[in-house]
Amino acid sequence: MMEPIYQYAWLIPVLPLLGAAIIGIGLLLFGDKTYQYRKSISGFLVFLVGATMVLSFALLWSQVQGHAPYTALSEWATAGDFHLKMGYTVDHLTAMMLVVVTTVAFLVMVYTDGYMSHDPGYVRFYSYLSLFSSSMLGLVVSPNMVQIYIFWELVGMCSYLLVGFWYERKAAAAACQKAFVTNRVGDFGMLLGILALYALTQTFEFGEMGDRLQTLVQSGSLSAALASLCAILIFLGPVAKSAQFPLHVWLPDAMEGPTPISALIHAATMVAAGVFLVARIFPVFEGLPVAMNVIAWTGAFTAFLGASIAITQNDIKKGLAYSTMSQLGYMMMALGVGSFGGGLFHLMTHAYFKAMLFLGSGSVIHGMEAVVGHDPVLAQDMRLMGGLRKYMPVTAATFLIGTLAISGIPPFAGFWSKDEILGSAFAVNPALWVIGWLTAGITAFYMFRMYFSTFEGEFRGNDAEIRQQLKNENLQKLGLAFGPGAMNSQELTLEAEHEAEAHDADHGAHSEFPHESPLVMIAPLMVLAVPSVLIGLVGTPFANYFEEFIHPTGEAMPTLAEFDWTEFVLMAGSSVAIAVVGIVLAYLMYIKRKIDPAAIARKIQPLYQLSLNKWYIDEIYHTVFVQGTLRLAKQVLSADIKFVDGIVNLTGLATMVSGEGLKYFETGRAQFYALIIFAAVLGIAITSSVI
Amino acid sequence: MVSTHFPWLTTVVMLPLLASLLIPVLPDKEGRTVRWYAFGVGLLDLILMVFMAWRYYDFSNPEFQLTETYSWIPQLGMNWSLAVDGLSMPLILLTGLVTTLAICTGWQVKQKPRLFFFLMLVMYSAQIGVFIAKDMLLFFLMWEIELVPVYLLIAIWGGPKRRYAATKFILYTALASIFILVAGLGMAFYGDTVTFDIEALRHKDYALGFQLLAYAGFLVAFGVKLPIFPVHTWLPDAHGEASASGSMILAGVLIKMGGYALIRMNIEMLPDAHIYFAPILAVIGIINVIYGALTALGQSNLKRRLAYSSISHMGFVLLGIASFTDLGLNGAVLQMLSHGLIAASLFFLAGVTYERTHTLMMDKMGGLAKAMPRTFTLFTVGALASLALPGMSGFVGELMVFLGITTSDAYNPTFKIVLIVLTAIGLILTPIYLLSMLREIFYGAKNPEFKPEIGLRLDAKPREVLITACMLLPIIGIGFYPKLVTQSYDVKTVEVADRIQDSLTLFSYDQQPFFTAIAYKAQPFFAANPVAPPIPKVREAKVM
Repeated sequence: MMEPIYQYAWLIPVLPLLGAAIIGIGLLLFGDKTYQYRKSISGFLVFLVGATMVLSFALLWSQVQGHAPYTALSEWATAGDFHLKMGYTVDHLTAMMLVVVTTVAFLVMVYTDGYMSHDPGYVRFYSYLSLFSSSMLGLVVSPNMVQIYIFWELVGMCSYLLVGFWYERKAAAAACQKAFVTNRVGDFGMLLGILALYALTQTFEFGEMGDRLQTLVQSGSLSAALASLCAILIFLGPVAKSAQFPLHVWLPDAMEGPTPISALIHAATMVAAGVFLVARIFPVFEGLPVAMNVIAWTGAFTAFLGASIAITQNDIKKGLAYSTMSQLGYMMMALGVGSFGGGLFHLMTHAYFKAMLFLGSGSVIHGMEAVVGHDPVLAQDMRLMGGLRKYMPVTAATFLIGTLAISGIPPFAGFWSKDEILGSAFAVNPALWVIGWLTAGITAFYMFRMYFSTFEGEFRGNDAEIRQQLKNENLQKLGLAFGPGAMNSQELTLEAEHEAEAHDADHGAHSEFPHESPLVMIAPLMVLAVPSVLIGLVGTPFANYFEEFIHPTGEAMPTLAEFDWTEFVLMAGSSVAIAVVGIVLAYLMYIKRKIDPAAIARKIQPLYQLSLNKWYIDEIYHTVFVQGTLRLAKQVLSADIKFVDGIVNLTGLATMVSGEGLKYFETGRAQFYALIIFAAVLGIAITSSVI
Repeated sequence: MVSTHFPWLTTVVMLPLLASLLIPVLPDKEGRTVRWYAFGVGLLDLILMVFMAWRYYDFSNPEFQLTETYSWIPQLGMNWSLAVDGLSMPLILLTGLVTTLAICTGWQVKQKPRLFFFLMLVMYSAQIGVFIAKDMLLFFLMWEIELVPVYLLIAIWGGPKRRYAATKFILYTALASIFILVAGLGMAFYGDTVTFDIEALRHKDYALGFQLLAYAGFLVAFGVKLPIFPVHTWLPDAHGEASASGSMILAGVLIKMGGYALIRMNIEMLPDAHIYFAPILAVIGIINVIYGALTALGQSNLKRRLAYSSISHMGFVLLGIASFTDLGLNGAVLQMLSHGLIAASLFFLAGVTYERTHTLMMDKMGGLAKAMPRTFTLFTVGALASLALPGMSGFVGELMVFLGITTSDAYNPTFKIVLIVLTAIGLILTPIYLLSMLREIFYGAKNPEFKPEIGLRLDAKPREVLITACMLLPIIGIGFYPKLVTQSYDVKTVEVADRIQDSLTLFSYDQQPFFTAIAYKAQPFFAANPVAPPIPKVREAKVM
């Protein structure tokens, strides 16, 4: 009875793609003329994503009802006996991801109408968003590793286009390139892993791949170390995509993109694709303890690293970006300790509350721009905000909900998922639990620091002194900010940049106080607030419907331990306790001003600098990799010109023709040369035939 | 053999050449008729080829088809002998498309338009001739004829260093092509019968020593064309200095002749020698990939950067050829087709940009996106295609080459791992130079040094958008559904792969030189068994 929706499930990635293609071609042909129809265009694209959302809900419903997984394949490429098939598969994991992706995408696209309403690139932005939705949905329904890789790179491309959306900003140009190249480093590992696993198992299909690999390992014909190496190579892909240490550096820079995409791509969907992939090929990792440990520790370290940097960020979006990185670390850690359900549960809850937080920050920036102008240096800095709750009550309320959710305060969504992760981490390795637990406290602290300094206290937006200080800081920083592949530092013509921005900044500043965003922006916030509060209830430890639904198909349901109230109270109590400590600290520092953050920073100066400078990782990478590669490239090129070219030219000339001949050619009697060639060919042909 | 059907191949080869003879006498006052005439001829020839392929060509047959043999110069034993198979059919279609578009690109050529379009049509014929010649001498003749128009195109319509570049080009390729003649003649006179027919040459039984010599000779000749390290240095000069039309043809068609001829002559005719040379080709392939990418990154001249990127991409062709698998060979052919389209479109767009900025130095550009949004979009698509983004043809070609090496049963795991890992490093380098190219040209604030001519419309004109679209659409089409193209030549690459596999079974593993001993497995591999039995697989895994 439900068959038809499965047969038409291919429409899910295809509909947004069609929309993007139509609008893209229109843009190419008609350029700016499309702008006057922008509302119809965005309406059309939002409608298409809405349609896929309805389809996704139907599929999820059908899967919940117990419909068997469905796969459809068709041949894509052949060479001799080799056949590569593409298609789509719908199972529990896919259905869950489809709903998460389409709902967030739909809401973000609605929100975009308000956020980008005055941007001349409105139409282009919508077509990119649609293209991204299509790629992400294609990734989610992929039935094999090659298709995953294809869409994996495509979402990366969309991210590249969207981060560099404001192409006139130098920082955006560097950031989008950095994002793409860093992700390519991950994809490099992933491709090698895929090829190695294909060589070992002769298949690209997830389940078979895992099964055959385990058989090989168990039969002793393949060493576990080698299998783990392959798995870790594949894991490099998720490390880059999900911004895990050491390939996390692109995510904070990616905040140069417009805020709606920070919410959609760099918080809710694309960055979670890494977690999704690990879950997808869980059968490959499961039986390899080394690989699982690597995943768990990478996740745990990233969670801590992100949180430790988020603490000192003043840019509201950068703060959220590091927080995203940290939360993704939790998810990885969960998968690494074998908590398949826990990782995915956190993926889902995080998608909703983090999308809401980002959209909330967008709303704040939108409001601030009315006061300080379109200058990200001013509009996004929390030192200029404060007291915004008065002016933007809905944004403040939803942001508070998101903050509570991410801090792990019951009964908000984040509490349940984080609690599940910490519980499973404790069962496997208490050291991981300690890191996760500490990070939870830091998370609560920096999120409330963000909430308090943005929405509470007095509004500081008109303080000329702070403004000037921020501008100066930015100028100093510009000297250091490069992406990989930046050609040279002289490019950053500081003055030109500064002038351009100052010029920009005068525009759009038209009011003394910020204002609440239009309904089209706050409506998605309010809608997202609902799952941020409630969705955790599907995965409570006493009735874990989520776990029951999501567990890997074809495997026995893990026998849930009898629910133990004492254990639950102990675990949950400790994590809530540390969250509350964090919140109280933030309250004392940023509301009551009982503790002076600057004094603490002075006391632990080295640690403070370490966090403020993001552990100096960007600087190290820049010196070692970026400049190293460039230096190497220059050297190879000069060797090519001087040495290789010289030698080949020399041998060629010395043995084959005299310098006189060359001089003659140089003077350019080309027609004569043509004759020579003809004569030579005929002559040789004739002589050879005579002989 | 006398063919009874309509001489399609002679028609498509001779049409542009004969039509070009009319150009000097065409009544043409404002230079408008000639270009329409040339374009019309090019298009007509392309249509004829498509019609021929669609109506008379059997895609499921790996043999030569539509063969036409006429005795031409009997004193020389030279026949006018033409034929197509799976290897040449896609390449002549590519040639037709790219050359027709290159004619369109030269639409506004001011200097000697008659000569320009005349040369384009001559080149059209010669290029197709190279791909469909079934006679060794005819092949050589076409190979040489094609050099003349290219030389003139660079020397007359090129950039500031055009004389040097053109001379270098002609010296390299002409000197190298002597090796074709020597090796070709040697093969023709080898044994009892004297023949220049390519099919007959393939069936001769050459001694191994002779094969190795002939292979080396061909490798020099075709290696210069492809190009392979270290004889690649003519290419950045030629591609960098040629006009947009010239670069399109150089990158789109000419260097594909090298890859085509490597498969046609070296592998098909000298399979035993190929076993000795394949590991060397693979190593050169890696050097091409990485070296090309690094030098491209070091370049700040736009067209030279693209030229070096061609070297890098051609490395994949070598790797595919060296892989001993149908998958790898299929990938090599696809990579040639795909690179032909991608490189031609990038060079075309570089020309469009150059027309507006009058400089090729990327540090003198910057911030052009706002003034040239269409060019920006097309350039982005082209660059993404070139960095092997999935959904476009470059990815499929490279993926198949990777899979070809992975599944190759000839090499030992260590050698394979080294090959794959090093090649994959190229995948990281490629986006660095292509994306920073985009960034330097289009992103950021407008470069204050750039002052466009007053009244010049900067963005791409409809004609220019159309030309790019004609190349980008097949790129995306192949990327979406590669089977569309691969199935048209799959039988051929399978046949070629089978031939080398057969030779491999006879290969003496005891008396191999050290460089193949490093690459190959210790025990002979039996090609008769296409699906590797599970036990050797397991052993291989342990060795890894």
